[in-house]
This record gives sequence, C-alpha cells and structure tokens, in this order.
Amino acid sequence: MAIRWPLLVRRTHKWLALLVGVQAVLWTLTGLYMVVVHIDIIHGDHMIRPVDARPYDLSRLVEPSTVAASVPGASEVRLQRLLDQPVWRVDGPDGPRLFDAATGATLPPPSEVQIGEAAQRLYAGDGRIVSVRLLTAAPQEMQARKPPFWQVEFEGWSRPTLYFSPATGEMVGRRHALWRVFDFAWMLHIMDYDERSNVNNPLLRAATWSAFAMAVMGAWLLVWSFPRRKRKKA
Amino acid sequence: MTPVRLSPLVFRRIHRWVGLILGIQFLLWAVSGAMMATLDMDKVGGHGDVMHHSHSLPEGGYAGLAALPRDVAVTGIVLRDLGFRPVYELHSKDGVRLIDATTGERVEVDEDLARTVAAMMHDAPIRTVTPMDNANLESRDFAGPMWRVDFADAENTSAYVSRETARFLVMRGDTWRTWDFFWMLHNMDYVNRTSFNHPLIIIAGFGALWMAGTGFYLLFKSFRRADFNWLRRRRRADARQT
Repeated sequence: MAIRWPLLVRRTHKWLALLVGVQAVLWTLTGLYMVVVHIDIIHGDHMIRPVDARPYDLSRLVEPSTVAASVPGASEVRLQRLLDQPVWRVDGPDGPRLFDAATGATLPPPSEVQIGEAAQRLYAGDGRIVSVRLLTAAPQEMQARKPPFWQVEFEGWSRPTLYFSPATGEMVGRRHALWRVFDFAWMLHIMDYDERSNVNNPLLRAATWSAFAMAVMGAWLLVWSFPRRKRKKA
Repeated sequence: MTPVRLSPLVFRRIHRWVGLILGIQFLLWAVSGAMMATLDMDKVGGHGDVMHHSHSLPEGGYAGLAALPRDVAVTGIVLRDLGFRPVYELHSKDGVRLIDATTGERVEVDEDLARTVAAMMHDAPIRTVTPMDNANLESRDFAGPMWRVDFADAENTSAYVSRETARFLVMRGDTWRTWDFFWMLHNMDYVNRTSFNHPLIIIAGFGALWMAGTGFYLLFKSFRRADFNWLRRRRRADARQT
C-alpha cells in the first residue's frame, strides 16, 4: 500500500504540536517581551546618573606601589573615589581592599551610612531609600554573583534596587521590575528552571528539535495545502 | 454581505496565511534555537565571565607618579603588571596611555607585546598577528584599536588584545563563530548581530505569537476523541492480559 504522505505528515505535525504546543506559545510570548522592552531599559541604564570623570590632583597622592606593598600578592592598584574621597583600590588574593589615596592608610569597609549616601547620589530616580541591608546569602536576582553585598532598595512600583560591594562600595548590580520579568521570561525561554542559565539542558534540546521537526512539517503542509491554480483540462 | 463568523475555518485560514509569511522565520528560529541549545556553552565561551590573567606586582623599582606625563587631566590611574614589567594605565578624556612603571617611558603595544599577552591565554602556536583600528564582528563588545592574534589549532582560535592597554579582550573560536551565525538568524540583526530590539523582529515576534496562539487553539479543534483510541485500546488489551 502506498503511504499517504500528507496524512502522515499532518498527523505527526499535530502530535508534535500537542507535545511542544504549550512551550511554543511560551517561546513566542517570552521572546516577544524580550524584543519589545529595550535591553538598555532591562539593564537599568536609566536608573543611574551619568558619572562625570573628574580629574585627580596627582601631586596629592600616595604612591600606588607603596600601598601595593602592604598587600602580599597584590596584582592591581586602581585609583577611584569613595563618595568624594580619592582611594586606591588594591586587588589581592583575598579580594579588593581600599586605602586612603592621600595618606596611604587602610580604610575600613564602607559603613551603612556611606553606602546609603553613595546609592542616593548614583540613583537617577525620584524615590527615596526604603531599606539598606547587608546580605550574606545571594537572592535569586543576583544570580551567580558571590555574596555578601549591600542591597539598597528605593521606593517605587518597580522596586528599584542597587547592589554594592561591601569591600569597596562599588555598585555591582541594579534590578527593577522589568529586569525581574525579563529574567523570568528568560527562564521560561531556555527551560532551565533552577539556575536560569544553562542553555544546553536536555529538556531544551529535546523541545527545540521537536519544535524544529514540527516547523519543517508545518512548512511542508503549507506548500501542500495552499490551493494551486486549477489544472487546465486537456 | 454575510457577516464573518468566527469559526475554526476562519482561524485555520489566518493561521495558514500568516504561517506562509512567517513560516520561514519560524523555521529559522526553531533551527537556530535548537543549534544554540546543542552547541556546548563552554566551547562557545566568551560569555559572561571574563577570562583573566593577573600577575603579582614586583616589590620595588618603581618610577613614581611624578614620572607620569603632565600634559593631560588624569581621570584615572591603574598600576598593574604585564607578566614581566609593571605598567601604569593613564586614563584621560582622550583615551588610555600605557606607561612603563619602572622607567616612566611610554609603552607601545606592538606586535611582540600582543603575541606575549595572547600566548599567556592560549597554549598553541601563533599563526598570524594583525593590527585593527576598530573592532570587527568577533570583537564587537569592545572598542578602540586592537590586535588580532590567530592561533594554529583545531578551533582556529583568535585572541583579541587591546592596542591601548595591552589587556587581553576576548577569545573566539570556530564553535563561537558557528554559534554567532545562528544567533544572527535568531535575533534577525543581520548587519551587527547585536540588537534584538529592532522593528523587524518585533513585527515578526507579533506574527509568531499569533501563529503559535492560533495553532494552539486549533490543537483543540484538530484532536478528536477517536485520535486517542489507540491509547484506550492498548489499555484495554493490557487489562485483558493481566
């Protein structure tokens, strides 16, 4: 008996669609969200005031090689500011540490008040700070980043939140509602419901190749099922 | 005029016509998505965590800050080690200058230095070293002049090294290049391959959502009780056997 290809393909398309149908709808929904909301907004560029690069007076600085010598194994010394104070940030085997750039003295980690002040200066929105907390466990939204960090939350419908390094007072993350929705959409898109980062998981591989097979058969059906011009009768 | 009745037939027609227009893109999304899921993330590399090679600073023998040129307003200083010599990165609004931290002399990031930096990142013979004034598609996440260092290995690895700071920027291999081609198909930005927020993909996305939505709706119209008979028959047969 000859195989009736259209029937077979239509059936397989249908059954594959039953298998991956919900996921196909989720892919397009989440994909649409990710393309519609601009990635710069997702990244929270609008949350931060542009920092103007103010020049430093080099004659008032302690030598960076001097502060480097007080941290065994130091690999990099960088000039930056903590609020208005010039500081040397020294990267060593135990992470970064700050030194007063004018005196060379070791600085204690930034205080809660300093972190709040830094956050308020950096934040471009109108809302005031709701809470400043030192977290020792990473919330989901800080992903693979290693705690601890300061979490500064501002008032507003989108729960704008800035994260700071406890060692240096530098901003290490910014989050808001649209980012959180994006992250959830991304999780649904790549079907990694735990880490939200493994794009090679077997479930995704099986689902994408099934979807591909479904699309190929759909394409074939499309060609088949569009009415052709009526054949001229001889 | 007869009013249009919202019957399954109407939806079937819309699904089919939108499908004709978007079918190819739908297929491309499916195949590029599947390929990106299949290509090993670790081999693709170059994502998220930046590879670093840091060297401990030597203990003494520095030229002090006074040796730095005074013709620009300095907006940043970094002291680091290239692996054989400490250097100052001098940042100003005009860019970055690299200064030898032992002599105070300007360091040109020449071909030899680019080779040395790249060789620290990858253990393979170097084939060619090419200067570039701007980023290419492979190094598009970075700005400024750079060196491209091509290795003779199975992956055809290329390392990119900044010509301003001598910092290693990124490593690209054939797996990444394959991945990037499919990423281009996926985000429909055929020129720059970076943006996924352009009008073309937004329109295509709306169409695809419509197609997936109507297709999903049609699932409920396409399956009949009879389609599941084989399941019930088997269950009955199983019951009889036991």
